[in-house]
Amino acid sequence: MASGRPILSSTSLQVLLYLNCWYFAAYFLAESLMFIYKGLLLPYPSDNLILDVVLHLLFLCLESLRIFYGWKGNLCERSLATSVSLLLLLPCLALAVYFLLLQTFVLRLEFILTAVLLCFYGLEFLLGLVTVSLFSRSKMY
Amino acid sequence: MAVISSLVPARFLTITSHLVIVITIFWSRDNNVKAGLPLDFSLEQYDKEDANLVVGLSVTLGLFVIELGGFFSGVSMFNCSQGLLSTAAHASASVALLFFLFEQWDYDICWWILAICSVLPALVEIMLCIAVFGMKKKPL
Repeated sequence: MASGRPILSSTSLQVLLYLNCWYFAAYFLAESLMFIYKGLLLPYPSDNLILDVVLHLLFLCLESLRIFYGWKGNLCERSLATSVSLLLLLPCLALAVYFLLLQTFVLRLEFILTAVLLCFYGLEFLLGLVTVSLFSRSKMY
Repeated sequence: MAVISSLVPARFLTITSHLVIVITIFWSRDNNVKAGLPLDFSLEQYDKEDANLVVGLSVTLGLFVIELGGFFSGVSMFNCSQGLLSTAAHASASVALLFFLFEQWDYDICWWILAICSVLPALVEIMLCIAVFGMKKKPL
């Protein structure tokens, strides 16, 4: 197969997105169970509990969208989809910082799990920037 | 291979869960240290055993760095036997450390858990790194 085009998709970003997808699934499950635990045991004002649960569900939607756009954008070498994924990283980062620091009650386990998620975000942001610049530098069409 | 698509994330998730529990124990090691001391302990005894436990946990974290380095660099990500061994070792370590944390076991037990469930995958990881980088074999 004669093909002079080099492959621009970033393998590291793809690996990170794949592992992030699995990690976020486990994180969402763990957080849901912890919200049930906290709701039963700790003295929550009901407004705060509803806010936290709604933000948790919003996190799921935003993160799924972000990973989808990043995945497809990286594989199809499209800079628009990858930059949408980078833009979606900002609200996801805000939500992660909320769950890390500003929640009504923060468990130690939540702190550690969210910190690992933030490590993923940092690495994906750097790799995403490099990948978008690579894609836009060599536009074939 | 079909097994690769489920072995790699399983291995990553068990390593992460082991790491999370080790960090949690680091944070709340007070009860475990007190469990191994007699009822009327002195501050020097506490400090000595606390340092012992901190050393054990730090060695575990160092071995984690080795294993995660090998995993993310691709040396052992697609190696089935290392994947199986690592998943089994870290899953059993997670369960054992959960009991360690909740049942407030003696701090000496952490050395046993470390030896079986952290040293073994890290040793195989180092051997694989030597095989790939030293002897130029293909990492599979």
